[in-house]
Amino acid sequence: MDVTEYIKLVFTDYTLRTITLGTAVLGAVCGMLGSFAVLRKQSLLGDAISHAALPGIAIAFLISGAKDSNVLLLGALVSGLIGTFWIRGIITKTHLKADTALGLILSLFFGFGMLLLTFIQKQPNANQAGLDKYLFGQAATLVESDVWLMATVTGICFVVLMLFWKEFKILLFDADYTKTLGFNTKFIDILITTFIVLAIVLGLQTVGVVLMSAMLLAPAAAARQWTNSLGIMIILAAIFGAFSGVFGTAISASQNNLSTGPIIVIIAGIFVIISFIFSPNRGLLFKQIRFIKNRRDLQLNKTLAFMHQIAKTHESISHPHTVKILNNFQGYTRSTLQQLVNKNYVKLEGNMWSLTEEGFTKASNLYNQQTSDNE
Amino acid sequence: MSNAQIEIQLIACIVAIACAIPGTFLVLRKMAMISDAISHSILPGIVVGFFITQDLNSPLLILLAAFTGIITVVLVEYIQKTGLVKEDTAIGLVFPTLFSIGVILIAKNANDVHLDVDAVLLGELAFAPFDRLRISGVDVGPKSLWIIGSILLITLGLLIAFFKELKISTFDKGLAASLGFSPIIIHYGLMTVSSITTVGAFDAVGAILVVALMIAPAASAYLLTTDLKLMIIYSICFGVFSAISGYWLAHGLDASIAGSITTMLGILFLVIYLFAPNKGIIAILYREKQQRTEVSLLTFLLHLKNHKEIEERHVNHLNEHINWQKVRSKTVLDLALKNNMISIDKNIVSLTAKGDEFTSQAIDYIITNEDTQIEDMKDDFFLFRG
Amino acid sequence: MNKIAVKVDDLTVAYNYKPVLWDIDLEIPEGVLMAIVGPNGAGKSTLIKSILGILKPIAGSVSIYGKSYKKQRSLVAYVPQKGSVDWDFPTTALDVVMMGTYGSLGWIKRPGIKEKKSALEALEKVGMLPFKNRQISQLSGGQQQRIFLARALVQNASIYFMDEPFQGVDATTEIAIINILKELRKANKTVIVVHHDLQTVPEYFDWVTFLNVKKIATGPVKDIFNDDNLTKTYGINYKVSIQE
Repeated sequence: MDVTEYIKLVFTDYTLRTITLGTAVLGAVCGMLGSFAVLRKQSLLGDAISHAALPGIAIAFLISGAKDSNVLLLGALVSGLIGTFWIRGIITKTHLKADTALGLILSLFFGFGMLLLTFIQKQPNANQAGLDKYLFGQAATLVESDVWLMATVTGICFVVLMLFWKEFKILLFDADYTKTLGFNTKFIDILITTFIVLAIVLGLQTVGVVLMSAMLLAPAAAARQWTNSLGIMIILAAIFGAFSGVFGTAISASQNNLSTGPIIVIIAGIFVIISFIFSPNRGLLFKQIRFIKNRRDLQLNKTLAFMHQIAKTHESISHPHTVKILNNFQGYTRSTLQQLVNKNYVKLEGNMWSLTEEGFTKASNLYNQQTSDNE
Repeated sequence: MSNAQIEIQLIACIVAIACAIPGTFLVLRKMAMISDAISHSILPGIVVGFFITQDLNSPLLILLAAFTGIITVVLVEYIQKTGLVKEDTAIGLVFPTLFSIGVILIAKNANDVHLDVDAVLLGELAFAPFDRLRISGVDVGPKSLWIIGSILLITLGLLIAFFKELKISTFDKGLAASLGFSPIIIHYGLMTVSSITTVGAFDAVGAILVVALMIAPAASAYLLTTDLKLMIIYSICFGVFSAISGYWLAHGLDASIAGSITTMLGILFLVIYLFAPNKGIIAILYREKQQRTEVSLLTFLLHLKNHKEIEERHVNHLNEHINWQKVRSKTVLDLALKNNMISIDKNIVSLTAKGDEFTSQAIDYIITNEDTQIEDMKDDFFLFRG
Repeated sequence: MNKIAVKVDDLTVAYNYKPVLWDIDLEIPEGVLMAIVGPNGAGKSTLIKSILGILKPIAGSVSIYGKSYKKQRSLVAYVPQKGSVDWDFPTTALDVVMMGTYGSLGWIKRPGIKEKKSALEALEKVGMLPFKNRQISQLSGGQQQRIFLARALVQNASIYFMDEPFQGVDATTEIAIINILKELRKANKTVIVVHHDLQTVPEYFDWVTFLNVKKIATGPVKDIFNDDNLTKTYGINYKVSIQE
């Protein structure tokens, strides 16, 4: 299937359109809220919450007996919130550390959820099939009402985000200071946490419990590399998230046997890798290039300064010296000398070198600059 | 009990012990989430290993998968070192991506791989006794029992051989390095053992239960003791207890054994979390209440000692100036009276000789901050509780 | 005697069972530049944090110009320790300084031109105007400290609390901070600084509080900054060579 054909299909085919829209909206809202999770250093909380939501789904099913996804999501929300607050309780009240608390709640809730799920499966109830889609997610089961729900929540999220933008920003940066300005930090905090839990719960049906945390983190971690502005970071994260959703859906739709969730996560992972390597300011590639360039410049300058020292002892700057003197000097190589000649700082005649006027001034400036830098 | 039932319980117990030992150190080293990451990211290793060996129980597969675990750790640490993202984010990025690769590998080769993602996450202990190891035709027991048994033996051997090194490097990295134990070797050694245990246990109990078996018993034990040896012993006991009781729970409910064992671990942790004698929530809340009263009492006594002026010592001043509610002031006042610390005359409070001495002692302790005096103080504090 | 700007009554603060501050009574007159000194763990930061309501005391009360702190919040500005925040946060110097205006704006309302103008003025005052669009992680430690100072200046308060503003800063920043402190005093503002360097107390400040869990002494530097109080505060026989 070629690309244009696929795009045409997205607009005409109901199921594909629903799934594409759903994953795009989900990616956007996760990217947006994930930025907060990443900046609050609560990256793994998402993982714990998504696992903690599983027993909620099972219990909601046991109580309601129906597979209405809204009811199940409500159960997931409640159980996710309980998990979140229990984690906080463990961290603040006992001497167990954050990572232990996260791992505990994650595995224990998930295990309990599995117990319930397997228990439900053995029940003589025809309705129960398909509950395990929450494990790895099944984008294919998305229907229009699910997308509407996602869109509504995203809309509310967006409005709240715009309203409390200033409060969110300052709380993320400096919570104590926010308190002294008279803001109710607990309220803002609960607002952010609730939205993060909400986003996770929304994603369970599509991406599943296991991979949900990556949906939250990856777009935000990628976006962070391209900008130093919180606003742009959140917008970028939303875009990366949405694109991961759309591409992931496209790839899984055009291949057999590929579930959407893992593909979306891998696409988001590719965004992260590209951002880590190629972002102009923070990226590893440019950092390495800058590092090498700086080292070269330093070597060059050191050689020039060394030559300057020798030339200073003579009456005329252009007095020639043998190249041999340089051999003992650490920064010296044939190529650095050649570069100096290219820059017209040094003249080379046979085995003799001499500083040019330009080179001399440059070298003495270099010296002054360095001493003034140290001050 | 049938033979299979005994074998299942035996496997579950051995897995629990094999997990509890590295788990204790992971919890103490604040690396619990790494075990979660490893348990997910070994999936592509298992799949690739399966392509090569065509046997889920082959030792080569275990080594390959364990190697993926080590790669995870290295990758996480590399990303952390670049400083591009905060510590936790690195873990959260690496393992879902690797896990996804594993899932896709399975999906793309569904016909060749008799692997099921559900089984990887959840395991199926009930089937473990059916895959039997035969040595020259003689049935010597289930394969997974032999695998996890050997892993346990290696782990135990390493634990006994390097107990001192592990202990020092866990509690004081600097000291360990200065004594010549390389913390890096210990670190990667522990990571290797954790990875191998995870892989060895996954097909019996599933990835998530491995995490639960590593973290939950150790965390529960940590609420009861801080002695390393005791902690390991408690962890092992909790693990074994949950394994056996979980099995019977699953038997009764006809549900997943892994899920039931985790649930038992959860209940066990909850009970200890609530009722542990010193570090349980109830004990902590009770102590906090006691301490609040005691600190309030001391505050009050100190205030009396600091101020000779009559208006500062009037009963009503407590409410107005010290900013306490009526009830709290009354509790404190009663407590002080009961212990003969103060005397009240026409609503003016004064320190008695005993109160004066006690307050001086308290100030000494607080100012010098010396822990030697804290023991006496504790006795004094208990006096009030009677 | 001037008006009392900050009055602390019988303040007691404890973390768990460990008392950190005991029965502190403190009166800070308006218009002084006050240093809080004491050894590590003496509760210096705790004192200002509990005055500012960040920590909840077990007992005691705080009043600002005779009224409770909650009512007088707009009169108070705070410069936290530089290490207390994540400087890799994606935001610019100007943005951080603008945060100083959030308190007077209240909920939801966004900063406008007026707020931006005052933020730029504050940046100018600390000599950071050329760096206004710099990402905060690309500033030096001293520059970050000056950004924090500018953020407090924007609050246009009467009382300033600063937690170790001189820690780990370069000479330029130290001078810049000192100049601002002097300017604030000229404007009859009250400044309370948690300070580490005993040598510079007589030079920079006119008022001092010695603190070690309980208050040892408080008053004008020239009257009480002596070996006796230093010894009482630091436990060991402490002698500072005070430059006359």
